[in-house]
Amino acid sequence: MAALSEKPAAVSSRRRRWRSKDAREARMAWMMISPTAIIVFGLVLFPAFFSIWISFRNVTLANLNDVFHAPFVGWDNYRAVFNDFAFKWQGLDNWGAAVTSIVYTFTSTVLTLLVGLAAALVLNKPFRGRGITRAIFLFPYVAPIVSVVFVWRWLLDPRPSGVLNDILMRLSLIDLPLAYLAKRGLALILVIIFEAWRYFPFAMLMLLARLQAVDTTLYEAAKVDGANMWQQFWNVTLPELRYVMGAIFLLRLMWTFNKFDDIFLLTGGGFGTNVLPVLTYQFSFKQFNFGRGAATAMILLAILVLFMTFYVGVVMRNIDED
Amino acid sequence: MQADTRKMNVIDQFAHRFSLQGLLFGITLTFFLVSILFPFYWMVSSSFKTRAEIGGREPTYIPSALRLEAYQELLDPENPSYQEFGVNVLNTVKVAVPTAAIAVILAIFGSYAIARLRFKGKNLMINAILVVYLFPGILLIIPLFSMLARIGDQIGFDVQDNLGVLVFTYLAQTLPVALYMLTNYFRTIPDEIEQAAMIDGCSRLQVIWRITLPLAVPALVSVAMYTLMIAWNEFLYAFVFLNSRELFTMPITINTIWNDPSPRPHVVMAASTIMTVPIMVLFLSLEKYLAEGLSAGGVKG
Repeated sequence: MAALSEKPAAVSSRRRRWRSKDAREARMAWMMISPTAIIVFGLVLFPAFFSIWISFRNVTLANLNDVFHAPFVGWDNYRAVFNDFAFKWQGLDNWGAAVTSIVYTFTSTVLTLLVGLAAALVLNKPFRGRGITRAIFLFPYVAPIVSVVFVWRWLLDPRPSGVLNDILMRLSLIDLPLAYLAKRGLALILVIIFEAWRYFPFAMLMLLARLQAVDTTLYEAAKVDGANMWQQFWNVTLPELRYVMGAIFLLRLMWTFNKFDDIFLLTGGGFGTNVLPVLTYQFSFKQFNFGRGAATAMILLAILVLFMTFYVGVVMRNIDED
Repeated sequence: MQADTRKMNVIDQFAHRFSLQGLLFGITLTFFLVSILFPFYWMVSSSFKTRAEIGGREPTYIPSALRLEAYQELLDPENPSYQEFGVNVLNTVKVAVPTAAIAVILAIFGSYAIARLRFKGKNLMINAILVVYLFPGILLIIPLFSMLARIGDQIGFDVQDNLGVLVFTYLAQTLPVALYMLTNYFRTIPDEIEQAAMIDGCSRLQVIWRITLPLAVPALVSVAMYTLMIAWNEFLYAFVFLNSRELFTMPITINTIWNDPSPRPHVVMAASTIMTVPIMVLFLSLEKYLAEGLSAGGVKG
């Protein structure tokens, strides 16, 4: 009798012990993750939602400390942004920040990807000094943005003592010094080139890692079939890189679209290079119209989310089906 | 594509260089090296130029001597246009080192919980934290500013000119990255080792301290390095949150000197050199740990 009743009791107590061990583990997990969670939620997610709220309010410097009582203004901030000359499209010689942002983000992402691919292909070849070369190739990405921006600005100095002016004048390509970053069109192109120069190492590292994992028998098979270098690249290398290129494209696109520092420091958003993050800054901290700034940021986020949904939903699915 | 061949000997390499393919390779490599290294050469060499060499009709490609005029203006109190740059260096260190240290410690616990422990709401938590990648810094700065101003009024601290507040906002920016990198690394450590230690009577915390962390040193180094770099280089938040010159971090001071009515590019280059060299030295000495982390989405931006 005693022996019979002992077994179920042991099982249930063991089960209880397991359950309590699970519970202990979960409690511990929450304890371990809560500091991070509180900081991230409190300082990122909550402010993000709060900024939706601000974008419907009239918030200026006067009531910034008392923002919870700011007057509700409906869609006024959004309307003001859409009608602002800095934002809206006004023809080919004045794109406005929305279109400039999109063009700038796409072209610099594509260029970054292409330069990164070239760099990865160079570094994928074994040669003496490859290790140090790889480290040097990472310099533009690792160096502080402020220092590289000012070196670039000084190399592009509008005076005849600017390095690019000096070189181009010596080569007789130009007669008079140019103000590169103060010319519509040229300024945007240079900002895009700067982005590619600074961020190609990110693409390069990811592509290089993938390249080194490509099965070499694929190349041998291609060679046996008589494929030349170009055909090998086009038919073997590129298909192998497709997924990682998609991932890099998405990440870089997102980060470039959100990027403030680069354009703010290079041109201050002038001369046809004004983008949405810089416009947000100007509304908020030049005009001290925080509601309008928040509305601009929300428009920026909306464009980004729309694009991401489209990209993940349509482009990625098509790749999967191929 | 001879990806599988080992290092070629000198003759092969010589012959290789003179093939068409090799020529193309050489040109590309040279183009990359020149366009990467020239701006850095220009930064360092210009920091040793004099005012006359900066203001000439033509650029001076090689400074006539290693003159410290620009550095004296930054660091020497005797100099008439002394910039107190030493204070700015110290401020950057005061912000960057705590950010890196706190981020690593918090991320160790957070990522361990995500990688090893089972709890409700884990996936939601991970996704919510990763969504942070999506938000532009400029979007958060307005609500953060007014929110912290309000909290500061209640508790009694200033939002502006407060390096501690800056550390907090940097933590919010760096923790998701740190968490992501460390979680991925912890998952590569086989669970069996930890199970064995637990059977031998170690508690979870002992397991983390004695087994997981020693195995994760490379990941810890790269996480510390990345968070340090992000905080060291950060511009936007420091630019908005700091007003008084004695609390500026280096990027803000450099921006201020550049925009000074009397242009002094050599001083800007000297300050940039001071800011860049420690980061680059640190990076080069830890490079083998870092390259992997970089491609794992280490640096946001």
